[in-house]
Amino acid sequence: MSEQLSADIVVIGSGIVGSLAARRLALQGASVLILEAGPRLNRGRVVAAFRNSPIKGNWMGAYPPSPWAPHPIYVPKDNGYLKQAGPYPYPAEYIRAVGGTTWHWAAMAWRLVPNDVRIKTLYGVGVDWPMTYEELDPWYQEAEELIGVAGAPDTGSPRSQPFPMEPVAEPWSMRRFCERLAPAYAVVANTVARNSRSYGGRPACVGNNSCQPICPVNAQYIGENAVAAAEAAGVRLIENAVVYRIEHDAQGRIAAVHYFDPDKGTHRVTGKTFILAANGIESPKLLLLSASDKYPNGLANGSDMVGRHLMDHPSSSITFYADEELWLGRGPQSPSSINTLRDGAFRSQHAPYRLDFTNISQVLSVTQDLIKEGVYGAEFDKQLRWRAAHQVSLKNVLEVLPDPDNRITLSSEKDAMGIPKPEAHYSIGDYTRRGADVSKADFTRIAELMGGTGLRYSADGQFANNQHITGTMSMGNDPKTSVVDGFGRTHDHENLFICSTGVMPTAATMNSTLTAIALALRTAEHILPKPADVHAAALNAEREASLS
Amino acid sequence: MTNEIQQVVPHHDDPADPSRRRLLAGLLTAYTASLIPWALAQPAPHADRGAFTALSAILVGRQALDATQTARLYDALVADDAHFPADVQSLLTLINQRQIDPLQLQNVLDTEHSPLAPLPRKIVGAWYLGVVGSGEAARCIDYETALNAVAVADVLKPPTYAYGTYGRWANKPI
Repeated sequence: MSEQLSADIVVIGSGIVGSLAARRLALQGASVLILEAGPRLNRGRVVAAFRNSPIKGNWMGAYPPSPWAPHPIYVPKDNGYLKQAGPYPYPAEYIRAVGGTTWHWAAMAWRLVPNDVRIKTLYGVGVDWPMTYEELDPWYQEAEELIGVAGAPDTGSPRSQPFPMEPVAEPWSMRRFCERLAPAYAVVANTVARNSRSYGGRPACVGNNSCQPICPVNAQYIGENAVAAAEAAGVRLIENAVVYRIEHDAQGRIAAVHYFDPDKGTHRVTGKTFILAANGIESPKLLLLSASDKYPNGLANGSDMVGRHLMDHPSSSITFYADEELWLGRGPQSPSSINTLRDGAFRSQHAPYRLDFTNISQVLSVTQDLIKEGVYGAEFDKQLRWRAAHQVSLKNVLEVLPDPDNRITLSSEKDAMGIPKPEAHYSIGDYTRRGADVSKADFTRIAELMGGTGLRYSADGQFANNQHITGTMSMGNDPKTSVVDGFGRTHDHENLFICSTGVMPTAATMNSTLTAIALALRTAEHILPKPADVHAAALNAEREASLS
Repeated sequence: MTNEIQQVVPHHDDPADPSRRRLLAGLLTAYTASLIPWALAQPAPHADRGAFTALSAILVGRQALDATQTARLYDALVADDAHFPADVQSLLTLINQRQIDPLQLQNVLDTEHSPLAPLPRKIVGAWYLGVVGSGEAARCIDYETALNAVAVADVLKPPTYAYGTYGRWANKPI
């Protein structure tokens, strides 16, 4: 046995959420240790890996899994890590590495809209959150100032303080959407963790148009930045530490966690408080793996709710040719959305949605289309340029309601370390499908307003996934129907907290990361409160630092 | 970039090594020479590479192809398939003899159930995507110089390359 590892607070998972919780606790004077299953990555190497990848349409191409901490890969072929129990496929993507999945996010940092947390009361669907939007507001603000969020005022999410940054400059293509869709649709700048000026020691965006898979210039906040901030605050991180069991004592308190190193050597880490922050799939997997005589269904699972209520955001889409040259691919990949359909009385009938415009360069996809069509000779370049200039695409981001049958369980198959793989049980309900049907009329109307030709709708009943893994360790006031309380503390274990998108009891219509960070900061405050004056002074110092 | 095919064979000459010039020119007929007149003066280390150069130029509609890139793509394609050089010769011969318009080529090969039907896509994919091989055997040979990047280089940078200073994308593209 190597050194005896111990800390006041042990965090499992080094993603953006866990790392920012760890940082906050370390700044409060706690000794904090993060255990990360995957290796450290290097930004320059990721950029090179993408440029050298033969599958550039797949963002995971630059992130091969490590043998000891596999993550799902589907292209060029399914590596069989996330088992699919059906009936509908759930091909979730995430990254097990230091910094986690936000290595390749679009940096969308939306808040909820206020009614998202009350859909049971207001619309008779889903569940209410154990908190109000107003309670979340200061935590959103703290999160936004930490990661550097740029946004427009008219998003439907009220705020008591201004955004840290002005919206990122609008690409020409989005300006034309904005002008031509008005007044039928209001197109607004996305709320993003992307710099519109120097902020937090990082530069403004320079339009590399590769936010996913990787921002080469560090203009977009990612988990690596969160890890660096945590380490600067005194957090210790051990990479390649694959936690496979959480150990409790006779009273049901968590006593230690056990991890494998890549050579399968075992290590035990003790602590006073434990935070599980290993994403919405790996975290419930670990809770289920940690079953004992006292807790035969796994830890934190007295309610049998661990792994259940799996949600994400399915999307259907339309692709068409606008009647003017828009040349997607100039500027960031995800600049603008239509937010007006995220809430309304219709939520009692069908899923709300955000309409999301892509600004991803169309060059790769139209090249593939032309090759498929067998266009050769001088016509290829001509067609390539015309299509790359005119082709646009729009998708919905649909709410999925919590359904206990949608869940993550342990597969009978094991990974290379002998740890059971996660298995997804998933279906897309009628509420979401009705939302997709309704949004089709928006697709058509928007295409008309853009003089669209060659309209191509995604196939009915077919949805792309958005990797916003939510619900599997839902928060709630009732221990019978939820896994954690409103502060992220597991109902069953006094010193085990969860910081993850997985604690969100509903998925709403926005990318889940910012909400998970806000909830994690709130959890950190609950574990170790900051004195009020210290909190205010720290926030002010951060504001001043961000102006430098 | 020019999309127009020059109809006049230019007065290329390469007195240093006229045998090389004859080598590539000898692979073309009047019809294919009219598609790629520049190729008549191109040196090629051997007939197989010459045929690949000529066929590539016809398929991608170019009046010039970088010699190093040609060699790298050729080597990668041959590494995948030992019959590749012979297939290239066969397809070039077919186009030479039947004067097939590149735009009609795939249709002709598909209609006739030709064993050469997969070949144009392989070659065009190599040039435009910079990728040779498929599935797990696929590998990236070119990125910044893949022809799909070159074709739009006046408007777009290949993803991961900075477009310009902050906000330059707000302007009208062209």
